[in-house]
Amino acid sequence: MEEKYSSNVLSGGKLGMVEVPDSRLTRYIVLLVVSKVLKALGIFESYDILKVVHVVQFIFILKLGSAVILLFFQKPFSSGKVISRRQWIKLLKHAVLSCIISLLGFFGLTLCGPLRTLLLFEHSDVVVIALLGVLFTNSGGGPSKTRGAAFFIIAVICLLLFDNDDLMAKMAEHPEGHHDSALTHFLYTAISFLGVADHKGGVVLLVVSLCLKVAFHTASRKLSVEIGGAKRLYALDNLVSAMVLLPWVIVLSATTESKVDSWSSLILPFGMIIFSVMILEFYVEAICSAKMEMPRCARYGAIALFLSSLLLANFWTHPLTDQLRSMSKPPQQDSTEHVLSGGVLVSAIFFIMSSSILSSPSKKGQKGTLVGYSPEGTPLYNFMGDALQHTSQSLPRFIKDSLKQILEEYDSRQIFYFLCLNLAFTFVELFYGVWTNSLGLISDGFHMLFDCSALVLGLFAALMTRWKATRIFSYGYGRVEILSGFINGLFLMVIAFFVFMESITRVLDPPNINTDMLTPVSVGGLLVNLVGICAFSHAHSHGSKSCSSHEHSHSHHGHSHSEHSHGGHGHSHGGHGHGGHGHGGHGHSHGSGSGGMNANMRGVFLHVLADTLGSVGVIISTILIRQFGWLIADPICSLFIAVLIFLSVIPLLKDACEVLLLRTPPEHEKDLNSALEKIEKIEGVLSYRDSHFWRHSANMIAGTIHLQVMSDVVEQRIIQQVTAILKDVGVNNLSVQVEKEAYFQHMSGLSTGFQEVLAMTQQMESMKYLNDGTCIM
Amino acid sequence: MAMDGMMSTSSGLSYHNVGDFYPRKFGSKPDVVPSGVTERKVCPLDKPDMVSVDVINVNDADVPLHRKKHEHDTYVLGTIHPFRKTHRSIFGKLSQEFRLVTSDRRSWRILLFGALNLLCTGCLLMWCSSTNSMALTAYTYLTIFDLFGLITCLVSYWVTMKKASQVYSFGFERLEVLAVFASTVLVQLGALFILKESVERFMEQPEVHTGRLLVGTFVALFFNLLTLLSVRNKPFAYVSEAASSSWLQEHVADLSRSLCGIIPGLSSVLLPRMNPFVLINMAGALSLCITYMLIEINNYNAVDTASAVAIALMTFGTMYPMSVYSGKVLLQTTPSHIIGQLDKLLREVSTLDGVLEVRNEHFWTVGFGSLAGSAHVRIRRDANEQLVLAHVTNRLLPLVSTLTIQIFKDDWARPLLTGALSSSSAAASPLGPAEGYAALSSSSSLAPLLLASGGELDPLTSTPSKPTSPPPEFSFDTPGRNVQPVVLPAPGHHVHRPYGGLGLSYGAAPYRGMLSQGLARPGGGLGLGLQGVGAGFGLGVGGSGVPSSQSYRTAFGGPAAPLRFGSSNPLASQAQYRQYRP
Repeated sequence: MEEKYSSNVLSGGKLGMVEVPDSRLTRYIVLLVVSKVLKALGIFESYDILKVVHVVQFIFILKLGSAVILLFFQKPFSSGKVISRRQWIKLLKHAVLSCIISLLGFFGLTLCGPLRTLLLFEHSDVVVIALLGVLFTNSGGGPSKTRGAAFFIIAVICLLLFDNDDLMAKMAEHPEGHHDSALTHFLYTAISFLGVADHKGGVVLLVVSLCLKVAFHTASRKLSVEIGGAKRLYALDNLVSAMVLLPWVIVLSATTESKVDSWSSLILPFGMIIFSVMILEFYVEAICSAKMEMPRCARYGAIALFLSSLLLANFWTHPLTDQLRSMSKPPQQDSTEHVLSGGVLVSAIFFIMSSSILSSPSKKGQKGTLVGYSPEGTPLYNFMGDALQHTSQSLPRFIKDSLKQILEEYDSRQIFYFLCLNLAFTFVELFYGVWTNSLGLISDGFHMLFDCSALVLGLFAALMTRWKATRIFSYGYGRVEILSGFINGLFLMVIAFFVFMESITRVLDPPNINTDMLTPVSVGGLLVNLVGICAFSHAHSHGSKSCSSHEHSHSHHGHSHSEHSHGGHGHSHGGHGHGGHGHGGHGHSHGSGSGGMNANMRGVFLHVLADTLGSVGVIISTILIRQFGWLIADPICSLFIAVLIFLSVIPLLKDACEVLLLRTPPEHEKDLNSALEKIEKIEGVLSYRDSHFWRHSANMIAGTIHLQVMSDVVEQRIIQQVTAILKDVGVNNLSVQVEKEAYFQHMSGLSTGFQEVLAMTQQMESMKYLNDGTCIM
Repeated sequence: MAMDGMMSTSSGLSYHNVGDFYPRKFGSKPDVVPSGVTERKVCPLDKPDMVSVDVINVNDADVPLHRKKHEHDTYVLGTIHPFRKTHRSIFGKLSQEFRLVTSDRRSWRILLFGALNLLCTGCLLMWCSSTNSMALTAYTYLTIFDLFGLITCLVSYWVTMKKASQVYSFGFERLEVLAVFASTVLVQLGALFILKESVERFMEQPEVHTGRLLVGTFVALFFNLLTLLSVRNKPFAYVSEAASSSWLQEHVADLSRSLCGIIPGLSSVLLPRMNPFVLINMAGALSLCITYMLIEINNYNAVDTASAVAIALMTFGTMYPMSVYSGKVLLQTTPSHIIGQLDKLLREVSTLDGVLEVRNEHFWTVGFGSLAGSAHVRIRRDANEQLVLAHVTNRLLPLVSTLTIQIFKDDWARPLLTGALSSSSAAASPLGPAEGYAALSSSSSLAPLLLASGGELDPLTSTPSKPTSPPPEFSFDTPGRNVQPVVLPAPGHHVHRPYGGLGLSYGAAPYRGMLSQGLARPGGGLGLGLQGVGAGFGLGVGGSGVPSSQSYRTAFGGPAAPLRFGSSNPLASQAQYRQYRP
């Protein structure tokens, strides 16, 4: 039973990969854990040191120290290939990048404190790559990975929002001029520009630098092969980056006075940090990833690191540890440390969970297809498809293509331009709201965004309508438009309902409204919406007007055509020609059938109309309140508007429902009936049954009909005549099933069931009767 | 509270009564008129009336305690319109329909639950405003969704009792689908609204009173579970099973699979697919409990908004697959789970004798489950239309209940010259109809065949597949030799065709077998049909069967032998060949 399910509650079942049992790897795991604990210790120590030593100096010392030790161990110059000039340049770039990343990391350390830095920054590459894979690609690897990513994000959010760190308040009061160097000053200003507290800025900084670090590691893999091993690269990299930092450090120490009392007392801590953070961790990681597989290494390392850092954070500022630390400088000035808070605790738990989920080997079996069973009875899967079916379009290309498609047609172009206008207005409003710190403006901006979603829906539907028919959408995507119109109608109903409820509460208890800000915003909104109405009313009136006129002309022409087609000529282009005729040149681009309805555009138009009504209502009520002080004017206006919206939506919903329920199109009903009569009169046709006609999309009316004919007529001629007659009344996707008596005989021969035979014979009986009747004549 | 309950149940019922009995005054007249045109004139008349009824209904609800509930009533009214409005054209019959529905015992139960639900929703909405909690509001929308579910259930009862009318020629089964779609979309829109409000609340978090929060949660959970488990909601049960699983379900399935690894005993409970509605109700209640705890302990008011967002997202996750499924039904798409089966059938159809291709195939679901479809089948010009039609229909009918097959022939007008000639001669001939038909069928089967083989040189005619792969059987024929037999429309002639040599040897063996079977078959063809007509067809098809199988084989080049008529159905094959007896 244990084998059947996975033993890991969080990461779910594993398929395929076989793991080495832990017992054989105990040595390495212990080594890994010890190194991680030491690293946590080192980071805590370095946080203390960073209070007195400048970041750049600190990093310089670290790099230099580790370079010396690594030179001693690795001997990069005496062993291995000679490094070419080009490789040196690459090495230099590499070193600069690594300097920048470690600068960011340690700067984040000064901002957030050691615990948070460890939680955020010390994730293994495997974890981060899995996280990014879940977030930015579709093939995440099952729900467990998604869960892990969600945990990671929740953990970061916990750190951002729920971490009430005392030091933050203090740090926020920092005067700007305090910073020691141009670099830190720049970073501080960047963070304060973002409008977040320093601590939160540190969190963001650390997340960004984490991503940078992972990208850097991935990129440096090639260089390490070129140079001849990761260890040699690491040694050389430390050396070069120390040399890169040297001039800066010299300038820095020349210009600013040092806060350090005695460098000699710092030698021991520095040595410890260099050993634990730079050297030991690197070597242990290298060994462990060679002996164990990468994910497991990451899992154990992360758990050990996070747990030890939690413990250390709890005891670091404890008075007991102060006594233990011999090299400690005079006691802590005050206890404004980055203490343990509930938020940090929760986020640490989430980080541990997410890293253990994300670092667990991904189940490729999710996408495998079952090919059969092995002799033992276990299922066999085929995993080939996963790599093959992965075709992704590049994002800019996709945007370009869809933009081109949008701008091709009138409807979608119109919606797109209006959407852009609306969005621009919204963002101006939002920015202005943030600038002036006005909550009303911001909430109104969000309201506008909410409204924009209807426009986006309409745009998407207008875009989709033109997609080619597929196997699944065998009639094409024309119906999407109607569905989107229906959804937009429902949307408006929901809006009307909420407005209604809100206004009812306000009628009973009219609140005091501040009208100052309202007027310019609503006037702006009104202007924008008026533009929209101008743009869409053309389409709308065009649609509706042409619909009515079309209907009119339709019946007219239908009659004239009926006389025409009586002779049995195939008027395959009859519908089109008379459509153009009926329109009289206006709206020629719309074919004969498309004049009917465009539910999508109607929905969008109604939406814009509702918005306009809203703005007008706000303006009127503002005037009323200002002039007469009628506070009740506002809710009454909105009540009125809600009812108006509701009433205006009903026809749209009704029409869309009728189409969705496959009703016979009402505007063609009469024509269809007369066409059916005409069909019955065709020579040789006995009767018809199962006649279904429905509007599939704006420009397609589909139909199916079964005809019973006499046995001596040619079926194809009947089909042609019927198709011509029905095409004249607008049915442009037709299937005609012509049945003779022989068909029922064959069917009764083929069908074995008694019921079918009975039904068939009955049908045949009736037919024979008719047949006889006509034959006698 | 009991009084309140009484009042609200009565009002909840009275809504139905008002909504359904109100137009009864108009009802008598449209009852008489069956056609759609005259009835439709009624609807603009009573549409505003309907709405004014709503407004009045709300406005005279002056008691503040009942306000929310009445508003909810209007909400229900408002959302019913899309469903009910569709049969607004038969609006006069609505009271009748309602009585029809209520004649069923089960619908009384649904009405009772609906009334309970209204009461519960009213209470919850009141508590929402008193606690000022967004999360509870989001949870209340789930209760409203349950109400939609009940309405959908009523609609589905109504649908089962309703026959197709002339304008709604497919029947009203789609109304069920539409109801499911509308309710899922409405709930998603409500969730969207919650999201928007939550974003606004994140900027300025108001205080949340926890007094009624937990009570409201458990009341809502209890009612929801009660409604879900005691009312068998057929449409929603179908959709939730047929639709792809939501992310919530997937995560729970994944978690419970892992959990079963630790406690194997739970596997019977946890491993089957969870009901999505129960799942979302539980998850929502859980998140509300967490909210309550955190607000009580730490006064984190922001948790309320966060949990509202979480519930809204879960609502999206749960409802999205269902609305996609029902939306696809509304869009008249081929259901993807049926495509494999359908493809198999279509492949079978295209291997039928005489069928060249199947095109313009449209298959879609009418309601939940019943498939409708149409297809155009292009056949060889010498094939018998009715026979092919019968076989194609016979193949597809078990899967597709509403089927229309259009048989299509290329260039049918051209061989009409010889066909008309022979048919006229057949009509004039003193022989019985059997011979006449035989002559007609053989000549019409031969002539196009020859034309087709000649058409290898002439790109205008015949099938597209033939020029690409010229059949070896025809390759040693000269067109000149083929032209000759046209003038000799003898019934048995085509058996001795000179170019049939290769194909005949292939076709003859099964043919004889069939023949002997046909001879041995007792009984006279079910006593159906005219012998003469049958004989004509039998000859024609039998004759055309040989070359068609050849041409088919060469066209497709596959090793598979062409599917004989009804090889799976012995009776069918016998019926086909039985006419050789005399």
